[in-house]
Amino acid sequence: MTLERPALDGPGVAGPVSARNIMRFVSLLARLGPACLAGLIGFLTPLQGHAQARTLVESAESLYNNIYVYREGNVFAMTFGYNRTIYTESLYNSLDDRDLPVVYTRYMTASLLYAKNVKSVLEIGFGGGRESWYLHRFLPEASITSVELDPKVVELAKKYFGIKDEPNFNVVNRDGRLFLQQSKDKYDLILIDAYRGPFVPFHLLTKEFYELVKAHLAEGGVVAQNVEPSTMLFDSAVKTIHSVFPQQDFYLGEGNVVTIAYDGPPRSPDDLAKSASDRDASLKLRYSLSQMLQQRRRLPPEGGTGTIDPNAKILTDDFAPVESLKAIESHNRKWPDPQ
Amino acid sequence: MAGSAIAERPASRIATAAILVTAFFVGAVLMGFEMLGSRYLFPYFGGGIGTWAGLISTVLAALTIGYFIGGALVDRHPTPRLIAVASALAALYLAAVPATADPVMSFILDQFGDGPTGILLAASALLLIPLSFLGTFSPVAIRLLLRSMHQSGRIAGMVYGVATIGNIFGTLFTTFWLIPTIGSRAITYVDAGVLAVSAIVMWLLPNPADDA
Repeated sequence: MTLERPALDGPGVAGPVSARNIMRFVSLLARLGPACLAGLIGFLTPLQGHAQARTLVESAESLYNNIYVYREGNVFAMTFGYNRTIYTESLYNSLDDRDLPVVYTRYMTASLLYAKNVKSVLEIGFGGGRESWYLHRFLPEASITSVELDPKVVELAKKYFGIKDEPNFNVVNRDGRLFLQQSKDKYDLILIDAYRGPFVPFHLLTKEFYELVKAHLAEGGVVAQNVEPSTMLFDSAVKTIHSVFPQQDFYLGEGNVVTIAYDGPPRSPDDLAKSASDRDASLKLRYSLSQMLQQRRRLPPEGGTGTIDPNAKILTDDFAPVESLKAIESHNRKWPDPQ
Repeated sequence: MAGSAIAERPASRIATAAILVTAFFVGAVLMGFEMLGSRYLFPYFGGGIGTWAGLISTVLAALTIGYFIGGALVDRHPTPRLIAVASALAALYLAAVPATADPVMSFILDQFGDGPTGILLAASALLLIPLSFLGTFSPVAIRLLLRSMHQSGRIAGMVYGVATIGNIFGTLFTTFWLIPTIGSRAITYVDAGVLAVSAIVMWLLPNPADDA
């Protein structure tokens, strides 16, 4: 999971205008040593308008990331540091393991209302494991598998983020695409959230990848993907997903967009509403699917309102310039109203 | 072949310039193709550090092979046509890569898995042979341009320096310009084309070793 912005702007934290710069400074100091950081946090606390100080609990340099785990009161944050910016990967409320403090992660669970069955779930990109653990708590009978590239991330999630070894809950340490390539299983839900700080692995965003995903969906299965909307990479990612899955709905969650995609004909609004209320009743979910459904957005046909650039190219294994697309900012994206 | 004795007279300017320009382009293709290797391998073996380790070590293994073989061959046959043949063979190999890479990568993944064995085999299938051919370039070029022991340091330094500038250019141009504008397969054909032109130039070049 990645919130593509500095931690202090994140949900549940009232970030001041200068939060980004302060966070960069904090991140820099984090490298200089915890002692400096403690001193700085004492200084920053009034600026943050928070009574509780944010303390660095553990930092680790893994094969792939510089990982910092912070604690602020009862909330733990797993963050990756790059380029003096800290990217929040996951937030965990240690008093309540069914809380999803990050808004877009709630919308990832909207996939539950689309799927024909909810017996097996695959997540690509475990991070702090909040989404998969939420699903595990509310669907203890479902088989949940989450794939994570970085073994250190899994280790820290188990240490600080309330992740336990339980039946029906498996974390696999592997590249997401490689896992799919070698797996023969099919899933009712596939959740994709495999960003690493600012980096997007190109081989998890191509048409060939989504065709592989489609081949691993059970009948009536759906895909949910977190996409960061501020750059041209969003336009290409949406078009690429659409090239494989004809149906695509969108949910806007503070800074991130969740797209839910499926094969076959479009589901009618009444059909979806019934499915949402049925699952709300049977699963007793914390975050109501019926309420989420009210935020559902559809894109108009090609060339519509300017939500998606009509010139955006479909990404393939052959042509996937994710880094350069990510460098082109896309402001004033116009979204159609929820329907 | 002539050239068993090394003359004091420097190699002709045209020959020197042609060999150095070729050094630049061969160097550029060599590193450019290493960067491209990641685009061929990641979809099958993941985007992890292990895949990069496989790519880099394979490139260095190819250079090792090329240095030894190129050095041995040029002492027996001091002619730029060695470079021409090596470049032409590397060009042919690269030209065959786009059409064959996917089945080969799938086969290796299925047979050997995604561990170090699979990664090294896949990187070798992609890179080892063409880059070994290209690795012969530097020792051959040095031997062709060398006229006396008094210049040997300067000549060796110049060949390696120009080839390394080519490496840098190839890395950056492939990563920041070619990959965002044309696809990996098209870049592979461009690389093959550059090597083919280098091969023709080197085939037609008067042999600087005959100046003696």
